[in-house]
Amino acid sequence: MALPPSLRTSITPLELELVASEQLVEIVPLVSMERTAFISGAYGPLRPPTKCKVPLWMASNLKLKKKCHIVPPAWLNVDFLQERLLRETTDPSFSEMPFRFAEVAKILLDVASDDLQNPDRIRTLLKDIREARQAKSREGLSKLDHNELMLPNLCAMEINEIRPFFVRGMNVLTQLTREGTQADAMDMS
Amino acid sequence: MPAKALVNPAHGPGSTCIAFSRDGLRVYTGGADTLVRIWDTQLGEDQEPPVAMEASEEVTTISAGLDCWVSGSKDSDVRRYEHAKPNLQGLVANAAGVPIRCVTIDPKGKRVAVTSDEPIVKVVSLDDITQTIKLEGHSKAVRKATWHPSGALLTTCGADGKIIVWDLSGAEAKQEKVIEGVLPTVADAEAPEFAYDCSAVWHTSGQYFFVATRTHEIATISTTDWSKSSTLSDDACTGDITALALSNNGVYLAAASKSGIFIWATQNRRMLFRYQGAIHAPITQMAFSPAKNMLAWTDAAGDLTRWLDPIPSSSPDPVKPSIGSGSVTISTKRKGTPTLFDDDNVDNARPTTDKPVTTEDLDGDLGIDLDNDDWILDDLGDGMDDDGEAKRLAAEGGIREMVSVTKAQPPFQPGSTPMEKKKRYLAYNMIGVIEVTDQDTHHIVNVEFHDRSTRKSYHFTDHFRYDLASLGERGALYACQPEAEHTAHIIYKPYGTWASQSEWTYEMPKGTRVLGIAAGGPPPSKSLREKSDVDIGGQGNVVVATSDGELVFLTGSGIERACLSLPGDFVTMVAGSEWVFVVTRDGSTTMDGSQNLTGRLIKFDDFCILQKDALPVPKRHTLQWVGITEEGAPAIYDSSGVLHIMPRFRIPLSATWVRTLDTNKLERREGKDESYWPVGVAGDAFMCLILKGRQEYPGFPRPLIQELPIRLPFKRTDPKEGPLEEHFARESILLDILRDGLGDELTTDDIAARELALDKELIQLIQQACKTDRLARALDLTRLLHLTPSFDMAIKVAGFYHLIGLQEKMEALKAEREVEDRLENLRERRRGLVDDFAPVPAMRLPTVGESSRPKAFQDFRPPPALHRPGLERATPVVDARTQDSQMTDDSTMYSGSFADGTQENDFSYGSPGGKRKRLLEDEPTRSNSSDADLGAKRRALGEPASKPAVPQARSNPFARKPGADNNGRNPFARGADARQSVHKSESFFTKVDAAEAEKGKRPAQSKPKPKEKKDAGKQTTLFGLLPPQPADKKAASRSKKKAGSPTDDSQEFAASKHNGVQPESQTDTVMDETQESGDTQIDEPSPVAPETETQETTVMEAEDPESPIEWPPSPEPQKRTVEVTG
Repeated sequence: MALPPSLRTSITPLELELVASEQLVEIVPLVSMERTAFISGAYGPLRPPTKCKVPLWMASNLKLKKKCHIVPPAWLNVDFLQERLLRETTDPSFSEMPFRFAEVAKILLDVASDDLQNPDRIRTLLKDIREARQAKSREGLSKLDHNELMLPNLCAMEINEIRPFFVRGMNVLTQLTREGTQADAMDMS
Repeated sequence: MPAKALVNPAHGPGSTCIAFSRDGLRVYTGGADTLVRIWDTQLGEDQEPPVAMEASEEVTTISAGLDCWVSGSKDSDVRRYEHAKPNLQGLVANAAGVPIRCVTIDPKGKRVAVTSDEPIVKVVSLDDITQTIKLEGHSKAVRKATWHPSGALLTTCGADGKIIVWDLSGAEAKQEKVIEGVLPTVADAEAPEFAYDCSAVWHTSGQYFFVATRTHEIATISTTDWSKSSTLSDDACTGDITALALSNNGVYLAAASKSGIFIWATQNRRMLFRYQGAIHAPITQMAFSPAKNMLAWTDAAGDLTRWLDPIPSSSPDPVKPSIGSGSVTISTKRKGTPTLFDDDNVDNARPTTDKPVTTEDLDGDLGIDLDNDDWILDDLGDGMDDDGEAKRLAAEGGIREMVSVTKAQPPFQPGSTPMEKKKRYLAYNMIGVIEVTDQDTHHIVNVEFHDRSTRKSYHFTDHFRYDLASLGERGALYACQPEAEHTAHIIYKPYGTWASQSEWTYEMPKGTRVLGIAAGGPPPSKSLREKSDVDIGGQGNVVVATSDGELVFLTGSGIERACLSLPGDFVTMVAGSEWVFVVTRDGSTTMDGSQNLTGRLIKFDDFCILQKDALPVPKRHTLQWVGITEEGAPAIYDSSGVLHIMPRFRIPLSATWVRTLDTNKLERREGKDESYWPVGVAGDAFMCLILKGRQEYPGFPRPLIQELPIRLPFKRTDPKEGPLEEHFARESILLDILRDGLGDELTTDDIAARELALDKELIQLIQQACKTDRLARALDLTRLLHLTPSFDMAIKVAGFYHLIGLQEKMEALKAEREVEDRLENLRERRRGLVDDFAPVPAMRLPTVGESSRPKAFQDFRPPPALHRPGLERATPVVDARTQDSQMTDDSTMYSGSFADGTQENDFSYGSPGGKRKRLLEDEPTRSNSSDADLGAKRRALGEPASKPAVPQARSNPFARKPGADNNGRNPFARGADARQSVHKSESFFTKVDAAEAEKGKRPAQSKPKPKEKKDAGKQTTLFGLLPPQPADKKAASRSKKKAGSPTDDSQEFAASKHNGVQPESQTDTVMDETQESGDTQIDEPSPVAPETETQETTVMEAEDPESPIEWPPSPEPQKRTVEVTG
């Protein structure tokens, strides 16, 4: 892979999406199918109009063939996101979001925007939430400590985003502190 | 119902207003043409009303006082005129250059409330127009104002959606209450909604007022807590309510909407009457006459319509306060005194503080009114009407009225909705959806299926305006009503496409309407989309209910099969695969509000009633939906939100309705205002559409189907045991449905699996019970167990808790269960009812060429065990068994049956494993039998019907082998045949066969011998071990080998007939071999009758010397067998 060095240190968002594709999502199938074995497990049976839980990759695949409707997860609607955005902007800590919300939301918005209510608004809300959270993690940079970093409720995509820089930053900090103590020790002696 | 209406074009198109003078003799109408016309109510349509033409812009509002009337106009002036005349008396008020929206004179005729596009409401004294009270509270224009009957309260309705109640009893006006969220907010004064009459109409009792809400209902808001206490709604009344009017005595409320004008009883909030004429334009204002039985309105087209006698004479009069309360009040009314607020005058006489007292008075009046009705009915009931014919007539009138009070539910089609915004659903069920879009000149019908792989969605243009439809498993059925040019008809469109011209129509006679239709049928075994699929299950069944009281049954291909009579008013129906579920009203609705519905299951095959039972719809509630669960049981859902299922419907006439789900008790319902619109029931899920708020029907675009888990309304709340018990009961219901459909079968895999799962739960419950020392409960639970092994589990559990006594009792139960097989018991019970009440087993579809093998990746069974003969342990042959088989052979010999019989018999014993596990190695010994096989083949080819007996006897491919040889049957024997036939040219031999058959059939037994010899010879060639002699024989008549054995056989049969010898020649030879090759079966001949032995030998003399010679060298494997056996 000929990726720029900055990206080589962490997984790409696309890879994260792939990982998130294993998550289960509810669909309303439009075709019937017996229970079928896949490598990751057996899914089905599909019996329209009964809902069924299948992995996201299968849902998006079926959706692209117009063979199902995807039922958006409970957190992917305007009301929930609005409330989270409000919390995100008022509360200094990260609010609780599903660990892979960014990936799942992106896939669903790409593939099944017609199954979502008001997808445009959801898109902007997600963007706002992302920006609010990014601002927080940037703010967190100033509190960076050389030996530990605790960011509860940080999501996969965000961790992935900050990881290369933070790890390097912490390395440098460690070096500096160690040098500092060594220098102190030298002074002492 | 009288629909006599006088229509006068009064004003130009645009917003109009109407008011009756207080004596009811005049009607004032105003409109967009700036004029006010004064109509005489005594005159008919041909009158030239006086005109008041002072206004310079549209007249928006008129109100009548005691001796005057006032009008408001868009020129922002309020003018006062002389009573009943167009004579201007002066200006009363004006607004700051904005249109006046409403003027209302209070009941006393002293003050007038003026609203305009200003947010301020002015209350002006008519005597002194300088005395003005300004009411500030609205934020936008104020659309309407109304007075409380006492005149103490004023309600104003603003464009901001607020209703403000003002208390004007004191010198200072104060806000009593602001009610929000009831009225719609209408910001645009030009919008048509703005012109609608949104006024709060006070009931004459003064206890509550009516107002048209934004959800298109009429709400009553009581003065006690200023909250919505009840609503008036009806299926027929849809769309915006544009005007409201209360009758003079408060008994009736008229409401106008786009769908018509409806009159409700205020007492019980039921719709009573409906204006039969057409409505061409939205009605903007409506009023009851204060003196006559008349309703008048003006509409947006500018017409004035007076509906004479809207209330039939059989019902209480809309003017008089009551029937019973003397003629005094009436006479005073007739005198021309303003009677509209007759009661309020009484009010006014008293201080407003004792309002309750006055309302009681009024209630009393109404109460008398109703008592009257009751009295009439009691009278009828007791049959004590000795007052003659007149009274009886009156009584009959009373009955009719009471019946109309409990409104009979109209016929409906499950899953359909009324037309709203030019769209409606004709059907919405578990199969799919039929949507209709109104295109004015025609409809577009769009049919979509949930499962697109089974049926193909389609749409078509509909010129007949189909208003009923039913989506069945096998086809969609539509019906239209008679219109001017065509009669009613139904059309059935099957989904399958393999037969052309499958669609058909069925015309109704002239004047007949279709009330309900249902299409049913067994679910398709596979996709109906592919043309090649010939599903022999047919196209289902069609049932039509007509207004002639008929129930017509047709097949899916249009064959008329039966025409039954409906036992009452038709309400609704739904068709399953074997029966139709028809709901009728037998008789009429009852006094106390019950719909009195009866459901019947009528079978398609013999049109007999399978079930008949009253529907458990609570009083004052209606049936909302009927359907069929996935398992095939009928289900109903009523407006009280309860789902019932009839699980044991297969037991004729004794099934019960089981309360399966109470949606009011759902957890998700907590704190939410939502209702459920049923679609279907599948297993444990109630499939429905969730409607928010006051919505009654699903709208567009199509909402997703939601699944609510079904929970039996059990009351036990124990967190552990409660759910388990509920689940057990629920599963048992499903299992009962399945078991009832079993018929003669004992069980199925599915049922067994479910029973096992249930047993696991029961064991959990038993464990709980043991833990808490409730032994009787544990024992009861044990009794419920399904499978015998589960008892052992229960016993173990009891043992774990050291409950010895319980353990013993459980063991006793187990012993009891072991004695009588539960499944067979159940089947017995099913059978026991056969004579009179047989449960009808589920219909079984013939499966056409369907492989039972699941598709790739869908097979979850463990992989088949690999057979590795080389790794298998060689098990020695059990001698006794071989002997046994011999024995049977021999015994059958005497029975004189065909070889077949013995062979089959033999086969049953001679499982390949009996001899030896290494089957493949046995193969060579097979040669003999394989030859016989081959012979059979030949026969089939070459001698069609010449020897009927033999082919029959040999028809079983398995039967042959064992007959031919006793030392091990090999399923692979046929393979040897194949090999052989490859070597030989078939055509040649068949020809010879034919020739042989011609000659050889009849001829004597001399022939078989050489053939037999040849057989043997050939077999040796098979193994390439031919000794010199056989080779010669083979050369001699190779061709006869094939034909040989069959003919041989036949001859043997012949011989057997003659000589009483069984066709055991082959067996005998084999026996010979075995005898030769080993001593194992030395005693074998003894059971065989000596005669046969000898006879056989005589028959095969020539052969005998050879076969011994032949066999020893033949395949080693055989030898080995013998060795092992030995």
